[in-house]
Amino acid sequence: MTFTGAIGTIVGYPLRGIIRASIALRIHPNILTLTGVVINVLAAWALGLHRFVLAGTLMIAANIFDYIDGKVARETHFDTPFGGFWDSVMDRFSDITLFIGLVYLYAELGRTDYVITSALAMMFSVMTSYTRARAESIIPKCKVGFMERPERIVLFMIGAFTNRMAAVLWVILVLSIVTVGARIYYTWRESSGGSRPEQDLAERLVRRT
Amino acid sequence: MKQVYTVPALVLWRSFLWLYERGSWQYDLMVIAILGFVWLTPPAWLGDPTAHGPGLIGWLLEMLR
Repeated sequence: MTFTGAIGTIVGYPLRGIIRASIALRIHPNILTLTGVVINVLAAWALGLHRFVLAGTLMIAANIFDYIDGKVARETHFDTPFGGFWDSVMDRFSDITLFIGLVYLYAELGRTDYVITSALAMMFSVMTSYTRARAESIIPKCKVGFMERPERIVLFMIGAFTNRMAAVLWVILVLSIVTVGARIYYTWRESSGGSRPEQDLAERLVRRT
Repeated sequence: MKQVYTVPALVLWRSFLWLYERGSWQYDLMVIAILGFVWLTPPAWLGDPTAHGPGLIGWLLEMLR
């Protein structure tokens, strides 16, 4: 088992208990999703006030709801197309809200450079989701790129708990730009009937001997 | 005619066109690289508005002087 796989297994145990409790209490998954967004708004407020540990704790709570809503929906047979749409839309609100918290914090500190960095990271985070959603309306699958929402959320938590938010912002920004670029390229290649992903550019960057 | 792949180009391209699953060893490597950057880079190098101090790299450099 890999390092990240082991962490996933360990974290999975308490989450399964929470999922069972939510099913027993007959909580509608859409309510779980909305609860996650509301807690994320509180986390953004804490970020804006430079209360990073509180923000990190609230993000953990919010993302428990975010993680379990889909599982509860499947278990309770409430996994409707609207539920999927609702979940995606609420995820974007949660994402943007956290960045707004950081924009507010850096504006309060008079750091225009990091206001711009946060705004760009926010833009490319939204574009990461949008490019995939739009791509999958013309090609079957566009799961390309490293920086997806779970990675962003975990990075936000690491930045909050260890007070390394600037480094985290740079990682999110750079890898989100790379992910958006990869998705645009992949979609272009798949939709234009070009070579398959397996026949990647590296195979064309060859030296002929 | 024989094709020889340039390894750095292959690594760069596969990192760009990332198709590895979470939990793969490639994913673990990326996570370690990111955590290394986040935790080891001195906040001053990035002009971090909220964190101060030399960070682990700065501390190690100081120790070596």
